[in-house]
Amino acid sequence: MPIEAVAMLFAWMLVIVFLALIACMFEDLESDTGSQSNPNSQVQLAAQVGQVHRFFNKAISGEAPAYAMYCTTAGVIAYVLLLKEIHPILAIPIGAAVGEVFHVIFATTAHIGRTAGSKRFEQPLYLDVLYGHLLPIATHGFMAVLCIVSIAYIQSNLGTLSGYLPVDGVTPLDHPFALPMLAFIWGITVGAIGSSTGDIHYGTEREFQDRPFGEGKRVVYHGKITRYADCGIRTQKDIVGFCAKYGGPCTGMTFGTIILFENWRTLVGMMLGRFLPAATGFSDIAAMLGIVIGLVIGIALIFGNVAFVKWARKRYGPFVGE
Amino acid sequence: MDPITILLVVVVCVIVGGVFASLGVHLLPVGGAPAAMGTATGIATGTIMLMLGAAVTGLFTASTVATFSKNILLVALSGAVGSWIMMGVTMLMANIIYAFGAGVVPVSGRVEVDPITKEPQTPYKTPQCDGHGVPNVSYISGMVGAFIGGFGGAFMYFALLNYAKFEPTMAAIAAIGIFVANAILAAYNIGGTIEGFHDPKFKRLPKALFSCFFVSLFCGVFVGMVAFIGGLI
Repeated sequence: MPIEAVAMLFAWMLVIVFLALIACMFEDLESDTGSQSNPNSQVQLAAQVGQVHRFFNKAISGEAPAYAMYCTTAGVIAYVLLLKEIHPILAIPIGAAVGEVFHVIFATTAHIGRTAGSKRFEQPLYLDVLYGHLLPIATHGFMAVLCIVSIAYIQSNLGTLSGYLPVDGVTPLDHPFALPMLAFIWGITVGAIGSSTGDIHYGTEREFQDRPFGEGKRVVYHGKITRYADCGIRTQKDIVGFCAKYGGPCTGMTFGTIILFENWRTLVGMMLGRFLPAATGFSDIAAMLGIVIGLVIGIALIFGNVAFVKWARKRYGPFVGE
Repeated sequence: MDPITILLVVVVCVIVGGVFASLGVHLLPVGGAPAAMGTATGIATGTIMLMLGAAVTGLFTASTVATFSKNILLVALSGAVGSWIMMGVTMLMANIIYAFGAGVVPVSGRVEVDPITKEPQTPYKTPQCDGHGVPNVSYISGMVGAFIGGFGGAFMYFALLNYAKFEPTMAAIAAIGIFVANAILAAYNIGGTIEGFHDPKFKRLPKALFSCFFVSLFCGVFVGMVAFIGGLI
């Protein structure tokens, strides 16, 4: 197998990294648009403490299981279409669109159900809020699901796309998992990361923007979310525009960096262990080198965090105020 | 290997994987919803989602490595390292968003001095908050937890793939299923938020390990039976 195939492997890896970055950014922004994440506890609480609001409210489950479902649905549809020999350019977007149909149905029923549950606290159901947010939810979600299914497609056909030929009916370096399973895996991961990192910018900053900057949000503030925008009354559309400037891209970078490190260390281990470019037989050395590179990356991350925390403590100093 | 030996090996591997999953979950710095408002220390998501996200990232790499290595330790370690990288990057980026997006310093709410770096915590904490961000002790605890959890998940996957002779996708689904069962038990034991090994809730660990042992034993026997019936091969 020529060395060009190895170059193609690394090129596809970078395509996957780029798609991962886009996917997780849009996943986080979608969760901000629909308020489907941990900060939604405050949206739910707001009505109960007398703060009637115009926020969208669709927290029916955690982001990870929700995106696992949307991505797996999309992956299954795309997989079936691919088996029917429909071109991936058509099959993947059709799969993502079907996933988003489910998403919008869940968003509608969740928002109406949650708001109806707040009736005793006199929280109205604003129909313009409902109608106005469904399309942004669907479009942001579509981008996330489309990128995840594309990643799953590339990974399940990585060897074929890089120019490897089948050996005994199996193409080397094609991932052993079926496309829907890969979509499920990355759906869970993208949801977990979007929930872990992206929520912070929405929950700690944008949701309580009329509170002092530079402190954790105290328990007495809980439920008293910022209900007024720069102009008029705040909805999720004001929030997503704000989070798109920092929280969303940071979240995208998190997933992109994880995918980059994971694929890069495996491929470099394979190269140094002389498993590539032939990609046949077994190589424990390749596995070992991949593990060692991963451990070095992890140790570097630990030192990076120690240095960052030290810098932040020195830069911001101890808490001042009451 | 004769069928009884295979059954025993599968059961032992599933028990090891399940108990490691439970131990890993207890070491993660999980802040849940309060962490999303900077009201509690840890990662701003649920226990199971965080552990599962890390474990399946590791499982992806472990399954790739399982195509060119038949060494169970190497495959499991590949999964462990995958989880540890996922958790490391996630916690670091969370701290970056806390610091630059909300102006918050990572600080523990459960200890006055960081047990590892010896940095004082209380002066940096916002009143009426149970800490915020991911301080160094929680970061290192989370990395260790992800490593152990990822190891357990990949260990189970390898056993189901090569000893129980499941098809790769089915082995992954079964491994994830058993992993989730153990992670949920651990999450019940934690009951919301935990900062890591220095958190007083960590002392509840033996109860979870005991429960997870029996759940994994049941799962292992069931998986072994399925392998002998042959319906999933």
